[in-house]
Amino acid sequence: MKTIWNRLYAWIDERVQLNDLVTFMAKKYVPVHRGSIWYYFGGVSLFLFIIQVVTGILLLLYYKGSDSLAFESIQFIMSKVTFGWLIRSIHSWTANLFIFAVLIHMFSVFFERAYRRPREVTWLTGMLMLFIGLGFGFSGYLLPWNELAFFATKVGTDIAGVIPVVGKPIMIFLRGGPDVTGATLSRFFGFHIAVLPGIFTVLLAIHLLLVQRQGMSQPQEFESTPDDSKKTMPFFPNFLLRDLLFWLIVLNILAMLAVFFPWELGRKADPFAPAPAGIRPEWYFLFMFQSLKYIPARLWFIDGEILGVLLFGAAGLLWLLVPFWDRKSSRGGRNRLITYIGLFVVVYIITFTLLGWFL
Amino acid sequence: MRSVMCVVVVCVGVSAQTALAADKCLECHGTVGDKPSSLFTRDIHHLKGISCTGCHGGDASAEDMEKAMDRRAGFIGVPKGDDVSAVCARCHSNATTMAGFQSVLPTNQYVLLQSSVHGKLSISGKERIVQCTTCHNAHGIAKVTDPASPVYPVNAVATCARCHGDAKFMRLYNPSLPVDQLAKYRTSVHGVKNAAGDARTAQCASCHGSHDILSVKEVKSKVYPTNIPATCASCHSNAAYMAGYGIPTDQFEKYAKGVHGVALLEKHDLGAPACNNCHGNHGAMPPGVESISKVCGTCHVLNADLFSSSPHKKGFDELGKPECETCHGNHDIVAASNVLLGNFPGAVCSRCHSAQDREKGFVAAGVMRVLIDSLQRADDRARVLVDEAEQKGMEISEAKYKLRDVRQSRLETRTIVHAFSAEKLRETAGKGFATAAGISAEAEHAIDEYYFRRVGLGVATFSITVLAVSLYLYIRRLERKQRQAEAVHY
Repeated sequence: MKTIWNRLYAWIDERVQLNDLVTFMAKKYVPVHRGSIWYYFGGVSLFLFIIQVVTGILLLLYYKGSDSLAFESIQFIMSKVTFGWLIRSIHSWTANLFIFAVLIHMFSVFFERAYRRPREVTWLTGMLMLFIGLGFGFSGYLLPWNELAFFATKVGTDIAGVIPVVGKPIMIFLRGGPDVTGATLSRFFGFHIAVLPGIFTVLLAIHLLLVQRQGMSQPQEFESTPDDSKKTMPFFPNFLLRDLLFWLIVLNILAMLAVFFPWELGRKADPFAPAPAGIRPEWYFLFMFQSLKYIPARLWFIDGEILGVLLFGAAGLLWLLVPFWDRKSSRGGRNRLITYIGLFVVVYIITFTLLGWFL
Repeated sequence: MRSVMCVVVVCVGVSAQTALAADKCLECHGTVGDKPSSLFTRDIHHLKGISCTGCHGGDASAEDMEKAMDRRAGFIGVPKGDDVSAVCARCHSNATTMAGFQSVLPTNQYVLLQSSVHGKLSISGKERIVQCTTCHNAHGIAKVTDPASPVYPVNAVATCARCHGDAKFMRLYNPSLPVDQLAKYRTSVHGVKNAAGDARTAQCASCHGSHDILSVKEVKSKVYPTNIPATCASCHSNAAYMAGYGIPTDQFEKYAKGVHGVALLEKHDLGAPACNNCHGNHGAMPPGVESISKVCGTCHVLNADLFSSSPHKKGFDELGKPECETCHGNHDIVAASNVLLGNFPGAVCSRCHSAQDREKGFVAAGVMRVLIDSLQRADDRARVLVDEAEQKGMEISEAKYKLRDVRQSRLETRTIVHAFSAEKLRETAGKGFATAAGISAEAEHAIDEYYFRRVGLGVATFSITVLAVSLYLYIRRLERKQRQAEAVHY
């Protein structure tokens, strides 16, 4: 048996120099410290993305991206296609877990200052992937063409429309016209399965390449530890196997969620019906949605909603560019301001998400 | 006391005579012999001591014509347009004035007339369509209880028909309004009695009102569909009023409890029939035994057609049994349910078809009941299974939607019952059975799938957990070996 594997390995190695890669990985070491657990969320995010790609392709076999057929095609997938209910439910749950895992990954990188030189590009590609992930969620939410998604998309694109100067054209572009219609569904479908995955794949390739080339970031206190006291583990096979263990745990959680809490389809969207009560976006947009509710309609000389959108835009930009303004961390200093900002943002997001959910 | 009364009567009489004697208008116009003055001599107003000046103004005591009809003396000549009703309203809307004449007439006629359908502007746009004189005449006005009055119940129908029977005139205001109401009325029980001089029988004003007539489309109209039963009942439920006519007075009470009454009066379903839909309105008459299915068939079209072509039609006609009414009743029609059908005591079929005879109809009634009950059970079962599957979170919307088809089949079977053929009913019910069976199978499959998913999840979770634990143990073993190797190395 071993001979067969060895011969297969030799066969591949002869053609693609696999040995070089294994040697590279075997020499690669992952730091072991009290925050090592956060390393695994990058891998979990990758695993969830792979599930999304696979289940998304399977859904594509039956999904029809038009306003007259979308809802019915999902209904068909859930009731008639063998394991269609499972695929759709897993796709929906994974979308949420993916955002959740990416957020944990992003905040762990932020708090560990792992974005500091020379990993600015890794941070940038990661952040861009988070934004695209949110785009995946926003565009995918509309695809079942149900009542809740229809009106949430209407509200969401309305908010985009308030951005000064460019807001209106962006809204028209997103909707494919002045209103949310079948044209909106068609282009959201296009974004969801072609445009966003294309960009995401390129960014992911750069991100992974950089992670492999630069290795895992070490916490600042770890860097200052004497070399003989530093604990590490080989990337291959130790870290990879632990990664695999995490993936199995996530897969188990996912299976339970998909079976015990199948993703509901709701009622088909009716553009002429009044908006039902309880319209709200997906949970990861909820903190922004709830914040906009609390801003007065008019603040000083500016419209409250515009001010809110501009503030969130500015905050997002600052967050994205943190490696470039947090010079202290790059120089090896301990920048406590970053910790305070990070804690404030985490508390703010959790508080406003809970308020949006329960109020 | 009696002597005091005599003095009062004599005094009032003398006073009226004095006033009449002083009415120079009537004196001159009477000499000329014109029609208004001639009519006025028997006018109720004249008899009450009101002179021509009461309406036309001027000085009735002046000998000189110029002085009598002097504008400075308040003479207004012949009132035109809305001034006509305004002149009447000067007294008739003044409670004090009317009390002076010991009148018991209401004083809101003018207000009611203005807000009625007749109070709308005429095509000239300068005056209202109807003035007081249109119905009551100008001179020679008589009390409504006076057979000489144009609004006396027996005469009112002809008075209304002067306009409402004139197609040319009515076209100007409401081209779609029929103009044959009087002709129809004359064929009705009301019309026949009215023509015979019965002033107590219903005429136009009895149902439509008099001064306060509103369009039938107005919710407040006495003949708006939801108000019709109460309008009819104002006479027909009054036992004392109807005493001489020899008909029951419990129709409204029964109707209000019946399926039609509940639909119209409680649910405000304007599609439900009021009294006039079965009896006619202007030509109101109880439908004859042989035409009941036609009357009911104006709404229940299929049922009536099936009945007319069924064996029951001939049998009912021969036995002189009213068609739909025999099984469903008339005013107190209850919602049709399965219990009406069958060959057991209590079912309407068993009133005629007996077990002793073992005749074809008895057997057919039994078979039909079994079929209709079975379909209901199949529908109920499908519904329960769909609910259960839905509660388990399964996607079952298509099957749920198909439940409407079973309901439709049940409705169809209820209709086809009126063919009184077990074979036809079996054929119709068959579609419902097939649909219900399909839905039940689909729902059962969904419920089975629900349990399969749980079992599947158990197997998958167990396998993944075993794999994860194995992996964990493998990692531990691997790292232990690595540590041992490292220790040997150092």
